[in-house]
Amino acid sequence: MSGHHISSAKFLWGVALALFVLTFITVAVTWIQIPEPWNIVVAIAIAVVKALIVVAFFMNLWWDSKFNVLLFIMSIAFFLLLIGITLLDTLYRVDPVPSF
Amino acid sequence: MSQPSATEERLEHLKHYFIDSDQQFEASKMGMWVFLVTEILFFGGLFLAYIVYRAWYPELYLLASEELHTFWGAVNTVVLIGSSLTVAMAIRSAQLNQIKGLIINLWITIGLACVFMVIKYFEYAEKFGKGILPGGYYTYEGIEHEQANIFFSIYYMMTGLHGIHVLVGIGLMLWLVYKAKKKVFHSGYYTPVEITGLYWHLVDIIWIFLFPLLYLID
Amino acid sequence: MATNEENSNTKKLQVRRFKPEENPEKHYLNEEKGIWAWMTTVDHKKIGLLYLGSITFFFFVGGVLALLLRTELLTPAQSFIDADTYNQVFTLHGAIMIFFFLIPSVPAVLGNFVLPLQLGAKDVAFPRLNLASYYIYVIGAAFTLFAIFTGGVDTGWTFYTPYSATTSGNVMAMTFGVFILGFSSILTGLNFIVTIHKMRAPGITWNKLPLNLWGLYATSLIQILATPVLAITLLLLTMERLLQIGIFDPALGGDPVLYQHFFWFYSHPAVYIMIVPGFGIISEVISTFSRKVIFGYWAIALSSLAIAFIGFLVWGHHMFTAGQSSLANMVFSFLTFLVGIPTGIKIFNWLATMYRGSIDMKTPMLYAQVFLFLFTIGGFTGIMLGALSVDIHLHDTYYVVAHFHYVMMGGMVMAFLAGLHYWWPKMFGKMYSEFWAKISCAILFVGFNMTFLPQFVMGAQGMPRRYFNYIDQFQSFHQFSTIGAYVMGVAFVIMAIYLVHSLLKGKRASSNPWGSRALEWQISSPPSLHNFHHVPVIVNGPYDYHKPMSEFQLGIAASHNGHHAEEAVSVSQSEKEQA
Ligand code: HEM
Ligand SMILES: [Cu+2]
Repeated sequence: MSGHHISSAKFLWGVALALFVLTFITVAVTWIQIPEPWNIVVAIAIAVVKALIVVAFFMNLWWDSKFNVLLFIMSIAFFLLLIGITLLDTLYRVDPVPSF
Repeated sequence: MSQPSATEERLEHLKHYFIDSDQQFEASKMGMWVFLVTEILFFGGLFLAYIVYRAWYPELYLLASEELHTFWGAVNTVVLIGSSLTVAMAIRSAQLNQIKGLIINLWITIGLACVFMVIKYFEYAEKFGKGILPGGYYTYEGIEHEQANIFFSIYYMMTGLHGIHVLVGIGLMLWLVYKAKKKVFHSGYYTPVEITGLYWHLVDIIWIFLFPLLYLID
Repeated sequence: MATNEENSNTKKLQVRRFKPEENPEKHYLNEEKGIWAWMTTVDHKKIGLLYLGSITFFFFVGGVLALLLRTELLTPAQSFIDADTYNQVFTLHGAIMIFFFLIPSVPAVLGNFVLPLQLGAKDVAFPRLNLASYYIYVIGAAFTLFAIFTGGVDTGWTFYTPYSATTSGNVMAMTFGVFILGFSSILTGLNFIVTIHKMRAPGITWNKLPLNLWGLYATSLIQILATPVLAITLLLLTMERLLQIGIFDPALGGDPVLYQHFFWFYSHPAVYIMIVPGFGIISEVISTFSRKVIFGYWAIALSSLAIAFIGFLVWGHHMFTAGQSSLANMVFSFLTFLVGIPTGIKIFNWLATMYRGSIDMKTPMLYAQVFLFLFTIGGFTGIMLGALSVDIHLHDTYYVVAHFHYVMMGGMVMAFLAGLHYWWPKMFGKMYSEFWAKISCAILFVGFNMTFLPQFVMGAQGMPRRYFNYIDQFQSFHQFSTIGAYVMGVAFVIMAIYLVHSLLKGKRASSNPWGSRALEWQISSPPSLHNFHHVPVIVNGPYDYHKPMSEFQLGIAASHNGHHAEEAVSVSQSEKEQA
């Protein structure tokens, strides 16, 4: 059954361990001063990986029904739409009155 | 078809408009996922405000995040991940009919959530003390930037809303403990534990993003 | 759940025919009595009726406000309302009509009532949540009424900053009310999605889902994806007023155009919350009264989803003159045109369904025709507004007012009335006067066009919206428009009279007065408390008018749990003709 996946305790600990390690890494990379946009990229990338691990193995989406996966993907997709299209405005605005 | 088995006599939880426990369980879980979709978009709006202002004033974010303590942010991240682990363990206990394990794991989770809130409380208190108050009450002068108040408005909105979600989670888990003590849950019925777990993991995920976005700007 | 069906996609069911009981003694309306039983009911049908009562109330309030506005506009100068009051009245009119009437109208009233019936389910997936969503609506409404009586709101239904952050009046109570209301909308959407996925009777595969449910499904998706953003928008706005957080207020270093992005990310999709469920109703009605298989089932079903999706890409067309970047202007203008495609697909499929059908022009069908006519005008003018250069001229004029009234009133309200007249016999077990219904529909049509057609002309000539006085040049248009509004008022009064008469003294309705093949008509009118006494089994599509009625009334003969709606069923023939 899709809904009743039972993970072993060892597996759950493993997942948590991976998350702890990634947390450490994301803090550690700030010590080595990566140049501008890349530090953000790395920080977000690590956060995405962590989030995906939680979603897949703590929230059991890995074993879940396709529609629940789709729901999750949909929420992310529409979130990105919201951001992406709004940035089309805010990043490319020319102030009508420059001193404003 | 389903054999009449030991589970048959435990069907008090089955609502009349569902055909069997599986349908009910799957429906509740899907309902929770739909709810999580709305949560993601709800926080999404705040992330949008964050991103738009960060793109406009990158230097502001650099300056302002100095005021946040990476160490305590990291500790809180670890605390929340730990609580995610214990919630997952709680669900596992329920699935295996280990009600005692379920209750213990829930208590640990509640404890960790409280630790998170206490740390958050000290962070807020420290900022309030300096005059870093939200919005119009902002009086701090240590940041040389006109829009400094906006960074902290966004900070307070994001962490505040997240904090409210943590409190709600604590409430839900206390209720689960109460129910578990009344022997409501067993391996054939643990839907509330499962879906509360889903909620809690989402709260964790949001923090996983808040941490680098707010604390790790350098 | 290891069962023997796992390998094959079809399964055998023993079925027999269940004829609906005519004029049942006991039904959902009289099985539980008393106010308390109604207020605490978890039955989806009664919750639908509770919503019906509430939205009727708000429609009345909103309507009276509209007549006040129109009356003031009879003369170019001030007639009897001063400017500030006028601002409050149009704000309340808009906010009430949109948030408290139109958004819950079809999903929460008709959707709640028919969705489980069309699925062959006993209730929605979460009945208590359903009741909760009703009370959340009531609480939201209470806050709004509170706002009205403690200072009012004069920002327009869009609550634009910075004005909304600084104006006097009780903006916070109002936005908080709408914030709460949003959760009601979200919960309804959530409930419907899960119900449609999990509670379908055996044999209702995705390609046998009535188009009404496709419409509601697409609507629910919009509700869960867009409404949370409204919630956060209003929360930020509330905080703006409460704490001056400055995100949207230019005086504090914020950006008011950002507010408009937030708001329209919800509110453009929300205009589709206000029309897509209407599409579903129109599909049902047109097919039923043309006695024909719907033309282009998948085209209609998927175009609902397409509209729901594209609706998320076009919000910036409300901001062409607000100072967003010209890149965004161009992209939004282009994307806006795309909405026309799935909308056009729908219109053509409905026309093709009617072509050579045996059309029976009963009241619901009459409303469907009115819908087709008015909605097409509304849609076309929308495309014109979507054209960037044209909109610079037309933005914030009466042209826009006319456009959205053609879609919201000419489209959705007509679709709602089509649905109300269509399902009325099922809801109450009573027929209404066909004669008076048609009369009032005709008056409504005339009154509507009298009211809003002149507004296109006025708008194109430059009459701005949201003003309580105007230059003399526009007076004849305004007066014509006001008379039209009163004509519509008359139509609604007639409607109220014959509907009340139908409730009290109407002829009893048979279980299937329109001869429809859809599942909700195969049970008695009004339905019993738990809808079905059997597990219905579906073997044909919902619009297969060429097949005999008996094939639409099947149910499982032996007791069986009827799980696995996803799979097609094959019916054992021997049992079929029994009973
Ligand atoms: C073919 C589909 C449609 C298109 C292309 C379209 C396009 C537009 C555009 C470009 C505007 C902005 C005009 C301006 O402010 O200058 C507008 C306004 C509006 N539309 Fe539509 N529209 C469509 C369908 C609908 C539908 C179905 C509804 C509601 C059921 C609707 C409701 C509104 C409302 C309420 C406004 C005015 C908002 C305000 O400023 O208060 N539209 N439409
Ligand atoms: Cu729009």
